[in-house]
Amino acid sequence: MMCEFFNSFCADPVNAIGGWFVLLPAAVLLLAAAASVVLRNLIHAALCLTLSFIALGVVYLALGAEFVGFVQLLVYVGAVAMVIVFAILLTRPDELERSRSFFSGFGPAGGTAAALATLAVLLGAIFTSPTGDRPMPPAVPVPVADLGKALMGDYVVALIVIGVLLTAALVGAAVLAMEDEP
Amino acid sequence: MNLLERAPIELKAWLLNLLGSFGVPDWALAIISALLIIGTVIGVFLGLFALTSVMERKILARVQNRLGPNRVGPFGLFQPVADGIKMITKEDLVPRGADPIVHFLAPVVMMVPALLVLAILPYGRDMMPVELEAGILYFFAVGAGTEVAVFMAGWGSNNKYSVLGAMRAIAQMISYEIPLVLSAIVAAMIAGSLMPGAIVAAQGGFAFGFVPKWFVFTPWGFTAGLIFYIGALAESNRSPFDLPEGESELVAGHLTEYSGFKYATFFMAEYVGMFAICGLFVTLFLGGWQAPLPFLEIIPSWCWFFGKVCFVAFTMIWVRATLPRLRIDHLLAFAWKFLLPMSFAAFLAAACWHYAGRGAVGWGLSLVIVAVPYLALGTSFTRRFAVSKRTYQFSE
Repeated sequence: MMCEFFNSFCADPVNAIGGWFVLLPAAVLLLAAAASVVLRNLIHAALCLTLSFIALGVVYLALGAEFVGFVQLLVYVGAVAMVIVFAILLTRPDELERSRSFFSGFGPAGGTAAALATLAVLLGAIFTSPTGDRPMPPAVPVPVADLGKALMGDYVVALIVIGVLLTAALVGAAVLAMEDEP
Repeated sequence: MNLLERAPIELKAWLLNLLGSFGVPDWALAIISALLIIGTVIGVFLGLFALTSVMERKILARVQNRLGPNRVGPFGLFQPVADGIKMITKEDLVPRGADPIVHFLAPVVMMVPALLVLAILPYGRDMMPVELEAGILYFFAVGAGTEVAVFMAGWGSNNKYSVLGAMRAIAQMISYEIPLVLSAIVAAMIAGSLMPGAIVAAQGGFAFGFVPKWFVFTPWGFTAGLIFYIGALAESNRSPFDLPEGESELVAGHLTEYSGFKYATFFMAEYVGMFAICGLFVTLFLGGWQAPLPFLEIIPSWCWFFGKVCFVAFTMIWVRATLPRLRIDHLLAFAWKFLLPMSFAAFLAAACWHYAGRGAVGWGLSLVIVAVPYLALGTSFTRRFAVSKRTYQFSE
């Protein structure tokens, strides 16, 4: 198997690497995610989290999901990461200290329990999923136009509900931030 | 003429054929072909950056009745070379309290999106480095990396001016990105595609035989184009939106603690980013590489593209020379309370234009849809920000 790969690599390295390329961003994703949990410096952790968002976008792209990959970059790197960073900068260090003393007793235990519970749910979903038994369908890039038609056709109710929810959130944020008239 | 039009493509094909005749394998040729395109695009834009850095100072000087740089070379044209040597030989200072890794990485991260977005611009007929189906989305998705870089520069410097400048820059970029994307969507909606090439193709042809069918010549296109232009100014942190680095209050914002080549890298990324967004503006609203009049089509398409980009960049320099800086709260209020509703109006107007048959009826209808909110918002804004006696809250 290794020899076969070696031969195809010599004949056409670009094509041979193509299928394995996804492993690189996946490795970066895992490392960055782990670093964002382990690092003590909050800003470094936030930047590592941003890196993992980027790597996830690249994983989507490597798997042929062009639209989702770009939206991942646009929303998570452009907006969510910045909101996280702003939240950290606007939190005063003494508040941080207090919250740490409150959680310090059962922080690690609680975190481990939550992580294990999430892992159990995910593993359960993966192992009971019927897709595992089926053969992998060939990766067909979905045209963006079809995606739009699906959103506006089959899933239009979900789209409108999310739109209403976001509008409500936006109005709420504006009301909270509004200055009181003198 | 046809030869000149296809000259860059033919030249590349000839070079690859030559290499192929020497027995270079096909996969290596594919890589060399890609490298040739990348090298050309980066080289052209860095050349444009060098030219603009001196032309901008010349134009600003002309507006302010000065001479501008005129010592190095003829008309001061070799000024960029002198600047480059100065930047490279300058001491690279890193503050003691700075975070060394983040401080070092910020200019690098800044440069990456500025160069990456150049990949999807259609530079001429059949001259597009990468044809992505979601090209417009790619431009904005990759451009989001700039905000991360600005934050890294501001926080990594460990300087209050840097952090304040970065916070301002990010607030401004996020606020102006929304009208920017919404106005870009208008063009994509009418062209029926997110591919830059298809959007340029949709603007081909001439009405009445001489008026180009560029989107900017329709009421909705003019509105969306103007919003996009303002958003582009704000995204590239140019005057009158340059208050993240307003020297009167913040020294130089997130650039305060940068010197030498790191500063030059920021400068370069800013200018390449400006050219990229000018290129997208030209692609979306000014007909891309299409000639403005039928008989001018003898001039190669890529000349038209770069000519239009240089013209838009010139107007940005002109705006910089003319308009004073905005205040941060006015700036954000302008984005959220004026540009955002106006971009929704342009959106609606474009849809009505499309469904009214893209003719005279649609033209009039979209004009009304754009004009009414403009007048309403405009009068309410003038009343709100009317000049009055200034009262100070904390002094006097």
